[in-house]
Amino acid sequence: MILPFVVAGLVLGSLYALGGVGMLVLYRTTGVLNFGYGALGAVSAMLSWQFVELRMQPLLAYALGIVAATALSLIFGLLAGPFLATVTILTKATATLGLALILLGLMLFAWNDKARTLRLPTDTIGFSIGTRITVTQIICLALATAIVVATSLYLRHSPTGTAMRALASDRELSSMLGVGVRRVELLAWTVSGAIGGITGILLSSQTRLEPVFLTFIVIPILAAVVVGRFRSLWGTLIGGLVIGVVQAVASAFPSTSSFSNATPFVVATIVILYLQRRKVVSIEVAR
Amino acid sequence: MTAEPRQRSSRVPVWSPGRLLSARNIVLVVALVALLVFGPGLFGAYWTRILTNCAIISIAAAGIALLYGRLGLVSLGQVSLIGVGGWITLRVGHATSLPFELVLVIAAVGTGVIGVLVGLPALRLSGLNLAIVTLMLAGAFEVIFTVTGFPNGGEGFLGRATGGVLQQPLARPALGTTDPEYFRYVVVVTIIMFVIIGLHLANRPGRAWAAMRQSEAGALAAGIGTVRYRLWALAVVSATTGVAGGLLAGNAGLLDPISFKAPASILLFATVLIGGAYSLLGAVIAGFLSQGLPPLLDALGVDGNLIFVILGLGMIQAITTAPRGIAGQLQGLARRIRGLFGKKERP
Amino acid sequence: MTGTLTVEGLTVVYGGVKPLNQVSLVFERGVCGLVGPNGAGKTTFFNVLSGFAVPAAGRVDFDGQDMLVMNAAKRARWGLRRTFQQEQVIHTLSAWDNIRLAAEHTGARRGEIGAAVTFVGLEGVDRVGSELTMLERRLVEIAKAVCGSPKLVLLDEPGAGLDAAETEKLIGLISRIPEEFGAMVVLVDHDMDLVSTVCGTTAVLDFGEVIALGPTAQVLASREVRKAYLGTADVEGAA
Repeated sequence: MILPFVVAGLVLGSLYALGGVGMLVLYRTTGVLNFGYGALGAVSAMLSWQFVELRMQPLLAYALGIVAATALSLIFGLLAGPFLATVTILTKATATLGLALILLGLMLFAWNDKARTLRLPTDTIGFSIGTRITVTQIICLALATAIVVATSLYLRHSPTGTAMRALASDRELSSMLGVGVRRVELLAWTVSGAIGGITGILLSSQTRLEPVFLTFIVIPILAAVVVGRFRSLWGTLIGGLVIGVVQAVASAFPSTSSFSNATPFVVATIVILYLQRRKVVSIEVAR
Repeated sequence: MTAEPRQRSSRVPVWSPGRLLSARNIVLVVALVALLVFGPGLFGAYWTRILTNCAIISIAAAGIALLYGRLGLVSLGQVSLIGVGGWITLRVGHATSLPFELVLVIAAVGTGVIGVLVGLPALRLSGLNLAIVTLMLAGAFEVIFTVTGFPNGGEGFLGRATGGVLQQPLARPALGTTDPEYFRYVVVVTIIMFVIIGLHLANRPGRAWAAMRQSEAGALAAGIGTVRYRLWALAVVSATTGVAGGLLAGNAGLLDPISFKAPASILLFATVLIGGAYSLLGAVIAGFLSQGLPPLLDALGVDGNLIFVILGLGMIQAITTAPRGIAGQLQGLARRIRGLFGKKERP
Repeated sequence: MTGTLTVEGLTVVYGGVKPLNQVSLVFERGVCGLVGPNGAGKTTFFNVLSGFAVPAAGRVDFDGQDMLVMNAAKRARWGLRRTFQQEQVIHTLSAWDNIRLAAEHTGARRGEIGAAVTFVGLEGVDRVGSELTMLERRLVEIAKAVCGSPKLVLLDEPGAGLDAAETEKLIGLISRIPEEFGAMVVLVDHDMDLVSTVCGTTAVLDFGEVIALGPTAQVLASREVRKAYLGTADVEGAA
C-alpha cells in the first residue's frame, strides 16, 4: 500500500512549499534569492531544541526560535540591504550563500553535528485515515495551505502587499511613486524569516535535527520555488507537494528507492531547462 | 562583482625572450623547483599530505575560476566532476593494468565528455539559472554517488566489493609511491594543468571568451561561434577537474561518497571567490583555503567548524569590497611596490 | 568594385508593431547613408542585415549572395561587419587584442592587424580597452571592421560621443574604406553634416518605410524628408 508514502510525501512536500513561499516573498520583493534560508530554519530549530532542553515551556521555546530566525533575517536585510540593492540578482544570491555558511559555522560551533531529535507535543496525537497521521503532520499541511492563501490575499489586497508587488515589478519606479521601499523590503525580510523559522522547526521534526542537513535543505525548497517559476505562490505550493509525493512514492519501490532523494533536483533541472528553452540573444540598444 | 580580469596584450608573443625570461617568471620557476626538491622535507609528513590535497583541489579551483572569472558562469557543481574523475580513475585502474598516467588521461577524457553532455542542455543558461541548475545537478550526483559508491576492486560495472575485507585501494603511480614522491608527482601534474588552462586564456579561446563575457551580440557580430567556445570551455574545465579527481583517487586509493556532497561544491566556489577568480594565483589560494586552512585552524587549537564562518565572511567581503579576491589584492600590492621603485608599468 | 546591396520587401513584425514595412532599396557603391527620425527602424534594419532580427518577409541580397540564409556569426565570417550604437570594445583586452579578435575569426592574415592599426592611426595599442578614449575606441571598431576582407560594413552612429575635430578624422577614415578595402559602407547617423559629407547615396526611413532614396544632397533637401523630420507640411525653401 502506498498510502502511507503518499501522506508522508504530502507532509514533506507541504514543508518544501512552506519554505518556498517564504523564499518567494523575499525574492519577489527584493530580488534576493536567499540561499541562507535553510540555515535560518536550522537556527530556529536548534534554538528551540536547546530551550526545551533547558526546561523551557515548549511553546515558548518554539516562539523564541522563530523570533530568532526572524530577527536574523531582519538584521541581515538591514545591514546588507543597501548594498544588495545595487548588484545583480546573481550577486545577491551569492551573498546569501555567505550568510548560510556563517550561520552554519556558528551552529556547528555552538552545537556539533550530532543528530538530535525535536519532539513536538503534537507528534504523539494522531488519527488513522487508512494510515496513521499525527497532528504535527496535519499542522504542516494546513499551515502550508493557510500561509499560501494568506500571503496571496495579503499581496493582493493590503496596502503593504500591493507595495511589495510594486517593488517586485519595478523598484525604482515604486520609490519614485512614494512607496517606502526600505520599509517594505524590511517587512519582506521579516515575514520571510518568520516563515523560515516555522518551516525549520517543522522540518526538523519530520526529517532530522542536524545543522548541516537543515541548512542545505534549502536546495529542495528551491526546487519548489523553481516549479512555481519564481512567481506563483500556488505554483510553489503545488510544486512542493508534487516533489514531496513523487519522492516518497519513489522510495516505496525497491527499484527506485535509492534514487528517490534526487527527485527535487531532477524536477527543478527539468523545469528550468524547459522554461529557458527558447533563449534569445539580446542586444544592447542605447536608447 | 564587477571586477574583470586583465590580459596582457598579445602583440609581443608570450614566448619571446623578453616576456618568457621576465623577473617574475624566473622567480616563479626557482620557487617551484625549490618546492619540489625541498618541500616534503621542510613540511614534514603531515603537512606534505595536506599540501598534496591543496594542489589537487587548486586544479578544480582553476576550472571554477575560468568559468566564473572569464565567462561569468557560476557553477556550483564542480565537486561532482571531481567525483566523476575519481570514479573513472578507480574503475579503469582496477580493471586494467595501464600506467597511472594513462588512466589519468582516460579520466580526463571521460570527465570531459560527461561534463559536456550534462552541460549541453544548460548551455544557454546564464546567471542565476545556471547556478541553480548546477546546484541541482550537484544534489543529483550526490545521490548517484551514494548509490554507486566508488570502485574498490570488486566485480561488475560498479566495481564494488562488498565487505571491508575484500576491498583494495588503487595502487599509487610508479613515480609516486611514497607520500613525498606523490607530492612532487601531484605538483608537476598541477603545473601541467595550469599551463594548459593558461595557454587557453592567453590565446584564441581566451580572447573569444572575453568577447562573449562582454557582449554575446558583439561576439556573434565578430564572427565568434559562441556555442562552440562555450562547449570548449566546458570541455577543458571538465577534463582538468577530472584529472584532479584522478589524483585524489590515486592519493588514498579509495574514495568515499561523503566527500562529494553538494555543499562541498558551494564551499569550493566560496574559496575561489575569496582567493580570486581572475588569476591562477587565486586558484592556488583557493586550494589552500579549502584543504589547508581547516588543518591549520586545528593545529592552532581553533574549533574546525569556524572554517564555515571564515569562508562565509570571506565570501561576503569578496563580493562587497574585494571582487578580485586575495590574489587581486596581492597583485595590486605588487603593482604599487613596483611603482615605488619607479619601474614602468608593463604593457 | 564594392558590390551591390539589394533589399526587397523587407518586413519585420514585433507583436502588433511593424518596425519595418516593405522596405526596398538598392545601394550600389561606396559609402551609403541611412537616416530617419528616432524610431524610424534604422537599427532594426541593421539588426536584420546582421542576423539579430528575423524578418517576416523580404529578401536581402549582396552581389547575388542571399544574406538571410546565414546566421549572425556566419555573416561576419562571410564579410559583414557591424558596429553597435554602444561601443563594443572589450575592456579587459588590449586594443591590439580587440582587433586581433576580429581578425582571427574572419580568416584574416596576421599582417592585417598591423595594417588596420596603421590605417586608423592608433597608437599605444597595448593599452587595455578601458584605458582608451572614446575616439580611440571608435578607431578600434573601425580597425576591427576592415580586417579579414570585409564586403559590407554597417556603422551605427559611429560619431556618437565625439567632438567636431574627432568626427572629421573619423569621416576621413570612413570615406577611404571602399577604395582601400573594397567594401561597401552603410552608415546610420543623426549628424546630417557627417552624412552629407561622406555618403554618396542616402535612403531615408520613416515609420518603417523608405520615403526617399538617391544622391544625398537631393534627398536631404527634399520636401518629404523635411516633413518627416520637422513634422510640418509647409517648409520655407531650402537651407
